[in-house]
Amino acid sequence: MRPWRVIDYQTNNAFENMAIDEAIYLETLKKQSPPTLRFYGWRPSAVSIGYFQDPRKEVNFHQCRISAVDVVRRLTGGKAVYHHDEVTYCLVCGQHEKIFPERIAETYEIISRCLARGLSFLGISAALAPQEKKRAATDPDLQSCCFSVPSGHELLADGRKICGSAQTRGKGGFLQHGALLLSFDPWVTASLILSSPTPKQAAQLKKSVVGVNDLSPKPATAEKVCEALRKGFVEELGIDLANGTLTPSEKELSAQLVKKYRSDAWLWRQES
Amino acid sequence: MKVFPEDLLYSREHIWVRVDGDMATLGITDYAQESLGEILSIEFPEIDTYVERDEAFGSIESTKAVVDLIACVSGTIVSINEDINDDIGIINSDPHDTGWLVVIEMDDMEQLDDLLDAAGYHDFILQQETD
Repeated sequence: MRPWRVIDYQTNNAFENMAIDEAIYLETLKKQSPPTLRFYGWRPSAVSIGYFQDPRKEVNFHQCRISAVDVVRRLTGGKAVYHHDEVTYCLVCGQHEKIFPERIAETYEIISRCLARGLSFLGISAALAPQEKKRAATDPDLQSCCFSVPSGHELLADGRKICGSAQTRGKGGFLQHGALLLSFDPWVTASLILSSPTPKQAAQLKKSVVGVNDLSPKPATAEKVCEALRKGFVEELGIDLANGTLTPSEKELSAQLVKKYRSDAWLWRQES
Repeated sequence: MKVFPEDLLYSREHIWVRVDGDMATLGITDYAQESLGEILSIEFPEIDTYVERDEAFGSIESTKAVVDLIACVSGTIVSINEDINDDIGIINSDPHDTGWLVVIEMDDMEQLDDLLDAAGYHDFILQQETD
């Protein structure tokens, strides 16, 4: 098994982050890139929406504008996420590597176990959400918000969702990325995603979501969290991780893809 | 229990094909719908779009992932299943029949030779699961 590449934590804007993820993914499908684990943060903060979501329904654009929060459509499915104080991971792997099973749920489960193992090094006990957990949120408006409902095999800590993940699959490989919150502000999240958030909705979010630093015995920086997660993947998968950077092809491709992610055509694509 | 109708051909990307002359009806297999879980959305190509074999002709979203739909034959899209717009659940409940996705007018029938029959696809699945 060839060594994995790990790309250390760095912060970028939303469009750059999504472009880099997709560039790695496309090169992996062409068998040009090794299995890759990338960690990153978002500056400025941003709301990302799922590939199939309608931004008109899922984002409070007025609030995003006045808060200087970017809005981007992801390549992956799922719901809206407010990215602020968090570590995002992105794992990309070709099917030919024969590391992950083809079944989607099993891939989620394995990655969640890696994340849980990583969190354990921060003193956090996380467990996989039951696979058949009903997805419906108690408040219909909250259904657009990723963290309102855990999917099967996503991670719960203290009974609340601590990491939201999403996956896309093409011919020959997959990409899964997910947001591990360091802290969570339910009111800010609700105000950026819902058109008229209510205190009750914010309270519901608070009950269902938790950040690393709400639970960690010692406050953890993003770098510390990445170190723990990296260890979790190494121990759970029995792999070697080598520090790496983007290849020249990935850099070139991501520079092109940034334009797509910034464009109105991509953001509003379902309505165009 | 997974279903593998005998009258269909299958791709390794879990697409089934029903052939009628030079028309190929495509859908996702029972194995694929089971792996995806509850299907929520689908993105179809436009009618008259030309699709290349091994390229994505659309994508499908379930509660777990967005997955590219990979064409196993080249040709022109001549029909899409409009019933899915009314009830996307038919892809899960009846993937090999009323849950069909598109009809492609093929321009190279020899591409069908690369597809698997029901027994071959069944073996392929078993192999995938034991790898």
